[in-house]
Amino acid sequence: MLRVEHLTKVYPNGTVALRDISFEVSDGEFLVVIGLSGSGKSTLLRCINRLIEPTSGKIYWNDIDITNASPSEVRRIRRQIGMIFQQFNLVKRSSVLTNVLSGRLGYANPWLSLLGVWPAEDRQKALRALERVGIADKANQRADTLSGGQQQRVGIARALMQDPRLLLADEPVASLDPVLAHSILQYLEQLNKEGVTIICSLHFLDLVHRYATRVIGLKDGVKVFDGLPTEIDRARFKEIYGEEAQEVRAASL
Amino acid sequence: MDKAEQQPTKIVIALLSLLLPGLGQVLQRDWKRGLSVFLAIATALATVTWYGKRGWYIAVIFLWLWNVWDALKMPRGAPVVLAVLLWLGMAYGIGWQVTQVNPMALFTNTERAQSIIRPMLQPDFFTARKEKHEGWVEVQVPCSATPPRAEKTVEEIHIRVQPDCGNLNETLIVTADGLWPSAPTEITWMTPIGDVKLLGPGNNQMLVVETDNEGRLSAVIQVPGSALAAAPDPTLPLPHRVYLTQTRPIGGMTLSTNGQYVIRGIYETLALALLSTLIGAIMAIPLGFMAARNLMGGHPLLVGVYVVVRTVLNIVRSIESLILAIIFVIIVGLGPFPGMLALAIHTTAALGKLYSEVIEAIDPGPIEAIRATGANNLQVIRYAVIPQIIPPFTALTIYRWDINVRSSTIIGFVGGGGIGFFLYQWILIGDFRAVSASFIAIAAVVMILDFFSAKLRERLV
Repeated sequence: MLRVEHLTKVYPNGTVALRDISFEVSDGEFLVVIGLSGSGKSTLLRCINRLIEPTSGKIYWNDIDITNASPSEVRRIRRQIGMIFQQFNLVKRSSVLTNVLSGRLGYANPWLSLLGVWPAEDRQKALRALERVGIADKANQRADTLSGGQQQRVGIARALMQDPRLLLADEPVASLDPVLAHSILQYLEQLNKEGVTIICSLHFLDLVHRYATRVIGLKDGVKVFDGLPTEIDRARFKEIYGEEAQEVRAASL
Repeated sequence: MDKAEQQPTKIVIALLSLLLPGLGQVLQRDWKRGLSVFLAIATALATVTWYGKRGWYIAVIFLWLWNVWDALKMPRGAPVVLAVLLWLGMAYGIGWQVTQVNPMALFTNTERAQSIIRPMLQPDFFTARKEKHEGWVEVQVPCSATPPRAEKTVEEIHIRVQPDCGNLNETLIVTADGLWPSAPTEITWMTPIGDVKLLGPGNNQMLVVETDNEGRLSAVIQVPGSALAAAPDPTLPLPHRVYLTQTRPIGGMTLSTNGQYVIRGIYETLALALLSTLIGAIMAIPLGFMAARNLMGGHPLLVGVYVVVRTVLNIVRSIESLILAIIFVIIVGLGPFPGMLALAIHTTAALGKLYSEVIEAIDPGPIEAIRATGANNLQVIRYAVIPQIIPPFTALTIYRWDINVRSSTIIGFVGGGGIGFFLYQWILIGDFRAVSASFIAIAAVVMILDFFSAKLRERLV
């Protein structure tokens, strides 16, 4: 279970990205965070694995205080939290296999990994992960030779290497076309059914309706909605996205 | 009434402008125009005064008058084009005279040009393979009471010189047999210290005598007047040598002596370029990190290091490696080593700057992603930073090697070793066949290197 209490993040330039956010996520939830660009979604996700240091507030994961963890504890926590990104964040010049293997760095022998030596079982695991996302044949290609959808699948495979119990997905489909978006989210859905808690930020409301078990809405760093996807009606929608907003359906694009 | 009041003002303005250019414009509140006019006339005046040819003052006077006209025509002013044309005309005119432009010189000295271009059309790189047939005999100079007999057989060539000894400018008769028949034979004189003297007319041409069809030869020579020039004691009788040399082609080509020097010089140049690039690259890596803005932010100490390293890199980079080479030649002496040092330092500064730009341009996304997997800092560097910087670093380093090969040819001119050193010597002694051979070799090496470094860089980036 993940518990976020009074989380606030103020950037050095004075921008308040998150303002007193509190919520809980039970194991096995598929939580979707919605909100406009700049509403604090990315900051929220990055505070959970401390890629960004919160200014104040607490985050507990299974009663471990993430916000107070020492650097080595943070690394141990991070290795159980997978993360995928809007821009995939693959090392473009490295092979697909190396990108996937790097998901195992938190578990690997630090010195052997620095030499680029990986145990056979990790290599097997990496190939299995690639098989699972359907691109095992691309293992030895450079990552930047792959299409966007394929790159995101490498991102998922990299996260799978961590045997994650929680997966953070920061706009995983915002750079992909709608058809690919569904195929990526279906992988997340499948993982969720296997017991991985998912926290995912999304733009398209129909994707939210289709995949989320629960939704949190952010506006200017403040939590303005917390409930079931079916509860997001027109009024709620305007509240989150502002009066000017028009709903765009991914499927209709 | 306006007219009555404006009239004196105009006169005042004109007078003030005449006194100090630009003043009239300033008084009419256009201080920018006034300053420009003042600077234009001041620079023109300074240039003409420095150059010292009075005729050019006409340009200044016209500019001065234009300035008065301009002041009177304010606020619209006089046409600026006129002043600009006047100023440029003066600058170009003086510039033309200062650089002593003389296009005719390109055509009046055809004889000198030919003496360079003709040998350059026959680069001294290869020569026909030749076989040598040589014999010698010792002749005593000056004569002692009992000179040894001047007769000797070397490799079946039998030579006899009569008389057995000679004083300066005395006539000797050389007879020989056992030479190749009907072949030109070069006769030369060698002093005991190894100086070779020519025996042809005026003692500055080779004496060449044809053998008869049985390989015999006889010739009259004179003991060269300079045969004792370098002798410590000219009265001491010493053995000098008379050489008979025949050569004939045996088919095929081989490297000439100068060709061998060219090869050696090119090899030296490539090696010194390679070594200086390697040393420079190794030193540039830490400097590149220290000069990368994105890494050196935050702590004031880091910012200080960044500013210092950046500044030093920029200063060193602006010093031409040729100047560094001159300094190092003075410190460590002639040869490839000072050239290597100069290039290594210049390379360090240049690559340090380029590396820092690569580091500043790395994509932070993968760093974030690898950190999110629970990797430690070293693992983040190994898996997210190094893969991003190694290919561009390598490409830049290869490109730098390319540049260094070109620079090191020039560095040889100041004693920094390599092909440039030989080239400079050849230019000095006027051996333009060797000069042309080294030109061709340099061009070939640079072109080949250019091609391969481009190919290699294409694959890396």
